[in-house]
Amino acid sequence: MGELVIEQMVNGIIAGSVYALVAAGMTMIFGVLRAINFAHGEYYMLGTFSAWFVITRLDVPYIAAIALAIVITVAIAAVVGRLVMQRLVTAPFQSGVLATLGLSLILQNAIILSFGGTYKIFPGGWLEPVMFLDISLAEQRIVIVAATIVVFMALEFMVRRTRMGKAIRAVSQNTECCQVNGIDVERVVLGTFMLGTGLAALSGVLTGPINVTIYGGMGEAITLKTFAVIVMGGMGNVRGTLLAGWLLGIAESFVAGFIGLQYRDAVGFVILIAILMIRPTGFFSLKARF
Amino acid sequence: MANDASSLATTEVTRAVAPPRSARWLAVPLLAALLGAPFYLDTYYLHAIIISMIFLLPAHGLNLIVGYTGMLSLAQGAFFGIGAYVSALMAVHFGTPFYVNFALAGAVTALIALPLGIPALRLRTYSFVMCTLGFVVIGEAVVKNWVSLTRGDMGVSGVPNPLLSFGGTGFSVTTITGYYYLYLVVALAMTGLFYALIASPAGRCMIAIRDNETLAESLGISTWSYKLLVFTISAAFAGFGGSLYAHYLTTVSPLTFQMYYSTTILIIVLGGGAGTIRGVVVGSVVFVAISEALRVAPESRMIIYGFVLLVLVFWQPKGLAPLFDRGLALLRMGRR
Repeated sequence: MGELVIEQMVNGIIAGSVYALVAAGMTMIFGVLRAINFAHGEYYMLGTFSAWFVITRLDVPYIAAIALAIVITVAIAAVVGRLVMQRLVTAPFQSGVLATLGLSLILQNAIILSFGGTYKIFPGGWLEPVMFLDISLAEQRIVIVAATIVVFMALEFMVRRTRMGKAIRAVSQNTECCQVNGIDVERVVLGTFMLGTGLAALSGVLTGPINVTIYGGMGEAITLKTFAVIVMGGMGNVRGTLLAGWLLGIAESFVAGFIGLQYRDAVGFVILIAILMIRPTGFFSLKARF
Repeated sequence: MANDASSLATTEVTRAVAPPRSARWLAVPLLAALLGAPFYLDTYYLHAIIISMIFLLPAHGLNLIVGYTGMLSLAQGAFFGIGAYVSALMAVHFGTPFYVNFALAGAVTALIALPLGIPALRLRTYSFVMCTLGFVVIGEAVVKNWVSLTRGDMGVSGVPNPLLSFGGTGFSVTTITGYYYLYLVVALAMTGLFYALIASPAGRCMIAIRDNETLAESLGISTWSYKLLVFTISAAFAGFGGSLYAHYLTTVSPLTFQMYYSTTILIIVLGGGAGTIRGVVVGSVVFVAISEALRVAPESRMIIYGFVLLVLVFWQPKGLAPLFDRGLALLRMGRR
């Protein structure tokens, strides 16, 4: 029993790390744009597909595929950011919902049209088993957790210490004031968007070998889970996102292990609705930031 | 805040209530064309029109939320699915006539929506959007897992054809022409009901809430009860649509809870023009009937929907309705 609990915890933290990596970008984009990005999971999908493409068609090794996938996704995101996201700075909230919903439809179905709607096998990755706390885990899973911790440390440093990070925080607090003070809000939005989509792509490439099968519609489920994570973490709160991601991962893993696998995907939304009702600022914010 | 919520809807109250005069002279030939359709249209095109009439009902419901109270809901897909299941289960287990299934589908859906609306309507803007999306995901999980009732992933198949019985005599609608006339009557009746609702004093209160919630409240309109009423009625409309869907396609499965349905309903309303009845009718014809008739592959259709959404957001926020009106005005001038 005890062993099973530890196993579920570890599995939960691994799944939660994936959610946290994707959600970090979404929560930062929400911070600067006040828009929920319904297309965020699609960049996770694009990351996985780019890696799959360069590995199977161009025979690139997995480690190089990680870098290439991020570059390809961020390049696509740069175009999208320029044409769509920057326009949302002054737009009402519905525009953000509808425009990103539209982007999600375009990206998802463009991939299905170009590569077919069937499931594909993701090659590569580090799948040698290692023992950790008496549980046998693929190396890839440990890489995911390690990468997540490193990324969040770097994000924390960036947000607190660098010029770009300070600009992001400033825009999150008051867009008009930033415009008055000469901060180029549109550039900050584009930068944040590219950074966030890059993280989603990283998460996608790293989980590719674990998910094994990939398909064009895979981003939607991730987008939905990410909503729960960003609301739990407090929208716009980067630090809270990591804890919220892990919490969701662990909760899902316990529900899957002890109640039933089929209920796993609804856990996030039950938590989401409960938090929206009871504590809309999230678990980890001392006060409402917005 | 209340004002930005109306940016996607027409703000002129009179236009929202009554169609422009130019549309009225069109009604008679349009009705004649619809009634005569089975005599000159191929069955495939009749099928396309039937599908668009099925989607018209949940779209009316969403229009009530978006166009007349200014909230954005993604839950229509869930209520559509619930209505489809209610109808299918009634017909399969009890063999009840069509109108009983249809009425029950709407009533049960409204009963489910009422308690969901109480907490959800406390939320605003994107929190409300995410919460309504949550209803779809949770609805799908319930339908997939309540196997004893819904048969889970297998779905309910073999839903009988709509049975119409009056007193002792009864007959089933089996031909596509039969379906066409039955659904046309239902669609016209529901559109009429929707019009009556909007034109009623309650409808005017809803428009007042959309245009300025604080002002409406200060004038003694109980905004909270009206919003709950709107949410419940819109769910009932979605349930009615689900009933038509179940009887036409004869199978219902958890796939009904996919985002595809919520997105299509959203596109019809926003693409057609939220806050106008003719906009939603035009929207269901353009985005469902025409794409169905042209046999556009689902993936290409979704990509087109995506671009339509982007165009709507940035260039044509009022949807097709203003273009439609301009077209009508031109036609009328040409006639003179």
